Amino acid sequence: MSKKPLISTRNLRKSYGRRSAAFEALKGINLDIYEGESVAIIGKSGSGKSTLMHLLALLDKPTEGTIKLEGKNTSQFRQHKLNDIRNKKFGFVFQSFFMNSNDTVLNNVILPLKIAGVGFRERRRRALEALRVVDLADKAKNKANDLSGGQKQRVCIARAIVNDPKVIFADEPTGNLDSGTGERIIKLLFGLNERKGITLIIVTHDQDLANMCDRQIHIADGEVVEEGIKQELYDENFDGDNDNDGMREKNTIKRIDVEED
Amino acid sequence: MKVIDIIKDANANLLRNKLRTFLTILAIFIGSFAIVSTSAIQAGVNSFIDDQVNSYGGEGYLAIVNKDSMDALEGLTNAMGGGNSGPIEYDPDKKQDGMTPINEEQIEKLKKIDGIDGDSIVKQKSLDITYVTSKETDKKYLMGAEALPPGNIKVATINGHSLDLKADEYQLLLEHTYVKALGYDDQNIVDKKIKIVVKDQFTNEEKTFEARVVDVIAPGVVSMSMSYFNNKLADDIYEENTKYYPPEYKDMTAAVAANYDYNKYSAEEIKDKLEDIGLSAMTIDDIVGSIKSFFDVILTVFKIFGFIALIAAAIGIINTLFMAVQERTREIGLDKALGMSSGKVFASFTIEAISLGFWGSVFGIVVSIIIGNIVNVAFHAEGAFLESFPTFNLVIYTIQDVITVTLLIMFIAFLAGTLPARRAAHKNPIDSLRYE
Repeated sequence: MSKKPLISTRNLRKSYGRRSAAFEALKGINLDIYEGESVAIIGKSGSGKSTLMHLLALLDKPTEGTIKLEGKNTSQFRQHKLNDIRNKKFGFVFQSFFMNSNDTVLNNVILPLKIAGVGFRERRRRALEALRVVDLADKAKNKANDLSGGQKQRVCIARAIVNDPKVIFADEPTGNLDSGTGERIIKLLFGLNERKGITLIIVTHDQDLANMCDRQIHIADGEVVEEGIKQELYDENFDGDNDNDGMREKNTIKRIDVEED
Repeated sequence: MKVIDIIKDANANLLRNKLRTFLTILAIFIGSFAIVSTSAIQAGVNSFIDDQVNSYGGEGYLAIVNKDSMDALEGLTNAMGGGNSGPIEYDPDKKQDGMTPINEEQIEKLKKIDGIDGDSIVKQKSLDITYVTSKETDKKYLMGAEALPPGNIKVATINGHSLDLKADEYQLLLEHTYVKALGYDDQNIVDKKIKIVVKDQFTNEEKTFEARVVDVIAPGVVSMSMSYFNNKLADDIYEENTKYYPPEYKDMTAAVAANYDYNKYSAEEIKDKLEDIGLSAMTIDDIVGSIKSFFDVILTVFKIFGFIALIAAAIGIINTLFMAVQERTREIGLDKALGMSSGKVFASFTIEAISLGFWGSVFGIVVSIIIGNIVNVAFHAEGAFLESFPTFNLVIYTIQDVITVTLLIMFIAFLAGTLPARRAAHKNPIDSLRYE
C-alpha cells in the first residue's frame, strides 16, 4: 500500500440547509482508497455513509474539503468532466437496482455505453460480454421486469462493468435479496475485484458483508469512528508490536477477526 | 450520447404511454389540419382568381372608356336596380344609347401620361359577328368576341392550351357554353374548325372564316361570355366589318386597354390622371379585388382558429411532458448518475416535444390532403356547386406550405417542450434516485 491513493479525501464536510437549520451530515472525513482495494463503508441509517458514497462517486459536491481522484482535485473539474468520469471510470450498483423495467436486459446493460456515444455494434458486443460475465447472456432479449431479484442485480452488475470501470460503487447491493442470492452477488463482486482489479466500494449496514472487504470504515454521526482491516492483511502489514505503524493518527485501527463477529 | 440515439429514445418514450401520446398528437393534429386546410383553400382561391386576373391581362391592366360611357354604364346598372345614386336624368345633349367614342386627341394625351405604358395601348375593336356554326350542327349562334387583351396573357383554359397571337392561321379560344351547342365536348373540340360568318350590314354579303378552336375558356367568376381571337382572326373580321366605312371612322373605338406601372403608381393616382383627360378606367382590383378580399377575411378567421387550436395543443404538450418527467424521475436520475449531461437530458425531452409536433402536423397534413381531394372531387361532381368551374381547384397543397406548417408546429412544440425539459435537466441525480 505504498502506492498513491486512487481516491483520497481531506476534511470532507457536507451540510444541508442553511445557518441555524443547517444539518451537518459529514463532519470532516479523511480517507484514502487504493487501487484494487475492497472497502466497506459501514454504518447505521442516517450515519452519513450514503452521503459519503455520493461524494466519493462525484454525484454530489462537498460543502468543504477536497476529494482527489488519481491525485487530481475534483473540485477543479467542470461538470462535463465529472459526467465523463462517472460514465467511463465508475460503475454503480444500487440496492433497488434502478433498471428500465420495460426495456430489454441488453438495453439496460448498454445504457452507459449509449451515454458515452459508443457505436451500435461495439456497444452490443461489449454488453453481451458483460452479460456473459454475470452468466445472463441467454436472457439478453428478455424484458428486465421478467427477471428475479437476483438476476436483476446481476444485470446491474453487468451494467456497472460494461464500461470497464476502475471503481464500482455498490450501495447496499444485497439489501433487497435473500441471503442465498445475496451471497452469489457478493461472490460476483469480489470475483471482479480479484480478477480484474476493480476497486470495490461497498456501502452497507451488514457486518457480515463488511467483514469480507479488505478494509472497513465505520461511520457514525458523520464521522469515521473506527477503521479496520481484515485479519490476513493485518498480519501482512503490521507486526503486532508497533501499534501505530503506518497509520493515521486520528483513526484507530482494530484487528478484525472474521470468526468473532 | 449520439443525436440519433436521443431521437430514437425520444420516439420510443412516446410509445410508452400510447393513449396519452395519441391524445396529445390529436390536439396538434386539429391545429395542423385547420391551418394546412385553410392554406390550401387560400392557395386554391388565389390561383383561381389569378387565372381570372391573367385572362384580363394581368396586374396593371386598365380597361379605359370615355367618362360619359362609364356614367352611362352606371346609369344602366342603377336603372336595373340597385346603386345609391338613383337613375340618371335625361340630357338631350348627351348620347345615351351607347358608348361615346374615345377620340384620337384623348389617346395621344393618354400616351403621354406618366406611368402609362404607351406601347401597351390597344384599341378594343368591337367585332360584329353575325353567327357561328359547325359541321356537327345545323343551328346558328350569335357570338361576342374580341382580340386578347394586352399584357401578361394567360387565359385559364380547360385543356391548358393558349393562343398563338402571331400565328398566320385563324385561332380562337371558345367560350365554354358554345362547346355543347356546337356539338362537341370540352376535349374533342380542340383543333376542330368552326365557321364564323360575318354579314355586311349594308350589302348583306356573307364571308365565312374557318377558325381552329385552340381550347375552351374555363368558366370563371368574372367571365364576360367572350370568346378570344388571335390577332389575324380579329384583324381580318374587323377589316370585313368596316370595309365600307369612311377611313376616319375605321379607327374609332369606344374602349381602350392599357397597362400602367403598378409598382410606381396606385390605381387611384392613375384614375385621377385619366379623369383629367375625360377618361374613366377600371383596374383588375375593381373587377376581382372584392372577391379576393372576401375570401381572405374568411380564411384568415379560420387560420386564427387553427392557431388557437395550436396554442391549446402546446399546453397539452407541456402537460404531457411534465407528467413524463415526473414518471421518469428515477430514470433521469440514473441517466445523470451514469454520466448523461443536463444538456442531453434537456435535448431528449425537447426532441420528444418536437416529435409530438412533427407527428401531429404530418397526420394533420395527410388527412387534410385526403379530405381536401375528396371534397374537391365531390364539389365538381354533376350537380355540385363547383360543377361549372372545372378549373377551380378548391384546395392546392404546395410543398412550401406543407413544410412551413410542419416547421412552425415543430417550433411551437419545441417552445412548449422547453419548460418540462428544463425541469428534467435540473434534476439532481441523488434526489431523483431516491424518488419513489
